[in-house]
Order: sequence, then structure tokens, then C-alpha cells
Amino acid sequence: MHGQWTDNKDREPQGTLDQQVRSQPPLKHRYHARLALIGLAACSLSASLPAQEASQAEHAGAAADSLPQLSSTIPLEVTSTVNPPTLESLQHDFDVFSWQSFIALNWPATDDGQPNNNMVIGQDPGGPVVWQGWRESRSIFLPGGAQPPAWGDNSSVPEACQSVDPSSIPPGTIYLTQVGKTPDVLDESEEPFETGPLIDQNGQYTRFEILTNEAMFNYVRDNQLYSKAGQQTFDKDNEVGFPSSATATNTVGSIMLKAAWIKMGGNYDETKYHTSYALVYNNPAEQPGVTADCSLEKVGLVGFHIAHKTKKEPQWVWSTFEHVANVPTQGEAPQLSAYNFYNASCTDCPVNEPPARPWNPANPHTPPSQIERVIPISADTRALNDLYHRALTAAEPDSVWVNYELVSTQWPTNAESKTDPTGVPAPSFLANTTLETYIQGQVRQTSSSCMACHNNASDTTGKPSDFTYLLQRAQ
Amino acid sequence: MSSNNDMDNFIALSAVLTGFNANILRPFLDPVDIKSEYLQVFFTRIAEESGDPKLATNILAKFAQLNGQTNPKLNDQQIGEEMLAPANGANFVLACRKLIFMWYSGAWPTIIPASATAPETTVSEIISAKSYTCGLVWQVMQSHPMGDSNFRYGYWAKAPIPLSDYTGN
Repeated sequence: MHGQWTDNKDREPQGTLDQQVRSQPPLKHRYHARLALIGLAACSLSASLPAQEASQAEHAGAAADSLPQLSSTIPLEVTSTVNPPTLESLQHDFDVFSWQSFIALNWPATDDGQPNNNMVIGQDPGGPVVWQGWRESRSIFLPGGAQPPAWGDNSSVPEACQSVDPSSIPPGTIYLTQVGKTPDVLDESEEPFETGPLIDQNGQYTRFEILTNEAMFNYVRDNQLYSKAGQQTFDKDNEVGFPSSATATNTVGSIMLKAAWIKMGGNYDETKYHTSYALVYNNPAEQPGVTADCSLEKVGLVGFHIAHKTKKEPQWVWSTFEHVANVPTQGEAPQLSAYNFYNASCTDCPVNEPPARPWNPANPHTPPSQIERVIPISADTRALNDLYHRALTAAEPDSVWVNYELVSTQWPTNAESKTDPTGVPAPSFLANTTLETYIQGQVRQTSSSCMACHNNASDTTGKPSDFTYLLQRAQ
Repeated sequence: MSSNNDMDNFIALSAVLTGFNANILRPFLDPVDIKSEYLQVFFTRIAEESGDPKLATNILAKFAQLNGQTNPKLNDQQIGEEMLAPANGANFVLACRKLIFMWYSGAWPTIIPASATAPETTVSEIISAKSYTCGLVWQVMQSHPMGDSNFRYGYWAKAPIPLSDYTGN
């Protein structure tokens, strides 16, 4: 029992760190010389480094105020930095993993969707970042169960948005890189389980999208899991098992993202958000009475889930980030003068309740949601957020990414448990106020827990689908 | 007030009395941490119900003495029999029995003495929402509490995993 964490050698700390250190890209940007000096000492990582590298890291860390290194390399595994590890030390390590992942995924991208190592994160506001070249679920699970185009070959204008004049789509948008010549469609205006839409301070519906990386997409495509018929054939002899990241082979496994966006303008200063142009679609299939409509909008990122399947965490690692101005914490005095989803002057607004039905994202104005965070961000995570914000500012003084914070990371404390396929997650509950707005709390089977919920996921045949509900979208 | 030493003895005693491995009762990494809740309840309720504020401490001390005995070294069965021996006193034994009840059911028992019209009965109150799902009875059953299961869809079509995986023994 508990073998995963009782022996620190099992974490392969040296190999992982070695790999991270060696895989740093060449740095050319004006900030790169400074970045190169930023050490790893902040999280005691140098303790696991080979002697020469540790010495260099310690020296560099001392010179650069021990700020964490910012890298475009997606971490493949969590590195335990305390031996023997504790619940608290591992939570910190997983939170570091989350921040490293967030930075790598939000690194500026080249035209082919790869990280642009001639830039640093935050240097190109509004420009394309790595994950925005990934495949949105609507481009994977096509009508009639049709085979989706191969990775990097998704260039057609979405049929639902043929009404938008292609010439009106700004050139050079982030989606011109990987996905093709048009932005993807943002058509989801509800949260999971139909718990309700989230209305911002401009009275507009928050929009959501789910994306997969190349490894996950290819597994779906290669095994024909994009269609009901394909799933039936596959499930006869197999159980869905997405590829894991592996340090031994230096391969990135399956990563799944959820993003929440709000329309810019009105009460929002777009310089405080990571923005993108997107085709925003009102989907009549989502709610009765909604008329199909598509428009080009500038949207700002307010919520971001990262689910990453690693070799040691077959239940996946679940990281969630939010815009710092989303909501205040319940029971605490509001710290900001304005929030994305909270109005301090509204004293009789019902808190954490979905808007009244009918729900229609086409409404020109819906009374804004009044949302509070139920479970506070831990002191250690807040300190880590501060540390990474300083590193981001050091790399790019005007970085928009300092406006995003880690809420927490959920991970399996006993991944190999035979009695609990969820792996006994820590923390037991985790919610993003933009993505699990109305199911925050600490009641099992009711409140948001990434792993407890996704453990129940199955495909269209009813067989387990390895912690993703995406396969249920197959037609 | 309890101490780290109290927790060590509480877990070891609980393992002896419940038949579960101590590593199951106190996992190496324990985000649920029901043990702390139980230890607090054990100290509080035993003191209230027995009228002896030192009884819980004495129980743990007695266990520590038996567990540390080296000549002869006692096995778990022998320690358990010693802890439940009538010579320890009715309140002492009853407290140990209530400890077993708490771990298995996630509830604290109250015994209502027999009256002229009714036999002795035991009523219990669930300690917390967390304790409801942590009762060892569900694990002995190789099942799950109503409304709370971590098993995946379709689990009912498969044989349960061995009991030893649940008890750790």
C-alpha cells in the first residue's frame, strides 16, 4: 500500500530534473540572459541535481533572488523535493508542476504551434500561445461520426460560422498557426451537468471550450474513438487507456484542457487578460429557444483547467487556474475594487446561484452572477503564486500572466490503490469558480472533485473512458 | 488534549481491536484524516460518559504497556483480550467496545439501559458526513455506503477485490 510515495527513489527525481535542465531551449531574447541566471533553488530542487548542476543552480539562484525558472518545456512528471515526502510537501511539488505546465502551455507559439523559444512567456500579448493550437472537442467529434482531419490539418471555416465574412476575421490571430485560417468556435455556454451558465459583470455568458493535445487526439483518431461505431468496435477487446507522459522516453502524454472566456469590453480592461479573437456561436442544441448565431468577438481568458496523465498518476494530475479578479473568497472582505463575477455593492444578490431559466446566451443582457470562492486558496499556494508572479514580471514587466493564479492541484495520494480507483485524491475537493461555479463545497459526490467526478466517465458504450467525458460526444 | 504519542497508541490500539492494518487506519498520506476526528471524539465522549476525564488516557497507557511488553512479547490477539478483560472495569471495556463501533460505523454509540418496558438498546449518531463514508463496515462488506461509491460504472458486474486488500491483513 502507498508504495507510490513511501519510497522517494520511485519518483525518479534526478532523471526528471536532469531532463528538465538539459532540455532548456536556447535563449535569444533580451531577457534570456537574465532568465538563464534564474535558479531552481526556490523549491529546493537543487537537492536532487547532480553536483555540478546543483552548484550552478545555487549560484544562479542566489544571483536572481531564487526565482523559479520559466520554461517552454512541459514537465513530464512531478518531482518530489522532500524525503520522506509529506502530504504538504507533495502538494507543493504538484503545485510547482502545475505552474511549470501553465507556463509551458502559455508560451508564445510559432506558426506551427510549437513554443517560440525566441520569446518568453508574456512577451507577445494577444499573440498565439501553445495550447491554442490544440484540438477543440467540436473538431474531433464530428456529425455522423466522421473521421476528424489529422492533427494540423483542420483548416476549414466551421460550418456554423459560414455567415461570418472571412475578410472580417483579423489576420494574424492566434489560430492562424496550428488550426488553420479561422478561430475555433466557442459554443458552450453551460457548465458541466447543466448546473447553469455563468454571467459576467457585463451581463454576458461565459463561454467554455475543451481541448486535447496531439497525443490524446491521435489516440482518439487512431482508435476511431471519435464515433459511436468506432467505440463499439474498440471496446470489444480493449479498455480506453490514453498514453501517459514518460520521462524515460521523454514523451508528452495526454493532456486535456478546459478554458473559460468572457467577452472583452464594457467593465473589462483587456490589457489585464490573455485575449483572443474567437467565433462565438449560440448553439440551439444547448438550450431550447436559442437561435443559431455566430459572431466574431474578442474574448479574455478567465479560467483554465489542465489535466495531464503521467506515468505515476494514472488518475491524471488536475491543475486549475483562474484570473485573479474573478471572485472574492467567502467570509473574507473583498480585496479588489472590481471583480469579473462579483459586485461588492450588490448586497442582496443571491450568492453562488445560477441565473433563472430560460437560459439564452443570445440575450443582450442577463443579470450578472454573484460568485464567491467557497474553499480558500491555501497559504502555501498563494505564496507560490506570488513567487511565480515575480518570476513572470522579471521575465516580462508587462506580462499579462501575472493576472492568473493557481487555485490548487488535485493528485492521487495512493495511485496504486486497489480499493479506490480515484487514488484517494488530495485535496479531496477542488473547484474553479468559472468552471464548477455552482458545485463548490466539501460534500462527497456533490461538491466538485476532479478525480472523483471523472473517475465515473464512460464512453458511449458504457465502458470506462479513462477519466474523460469527451468520448460521450461521439456521434 | 491529545498528543502525537496519543495518536500513535490510538491507531495501534484501533488496529488491534478492529483487525485492520494500522496503515489502512492511518495511511502514509492521508488527505481524508478521519483518525484525528475519531481521536478527538474518543477523548471527549469517553470523558463525558464515564465521568472520568482520565479514562481515555488510561486506556491508551494500558495499551502502550501491553504493546511494549517484551517478556513475553504479546501478539495482537493477546493484547486485544487483555484490553477487553473484565478486570479492567466496566467503563474501560465499554470504552474499547465503543472505539470498535466508531471505526466500523462512523458513528458514536449510546447505550440506553433496559427498563421495565424495553430491553437495553444501542442508538448511534453519525459523527460527520466524512465519518459516514469512512466506516470500516463498508470495506469489510467489500462494498460502499449508500450514495457514495468510488467504483467505476459497471463494477457490479465484476467480482469484488479480495477482503485482504481492504483490511491490509
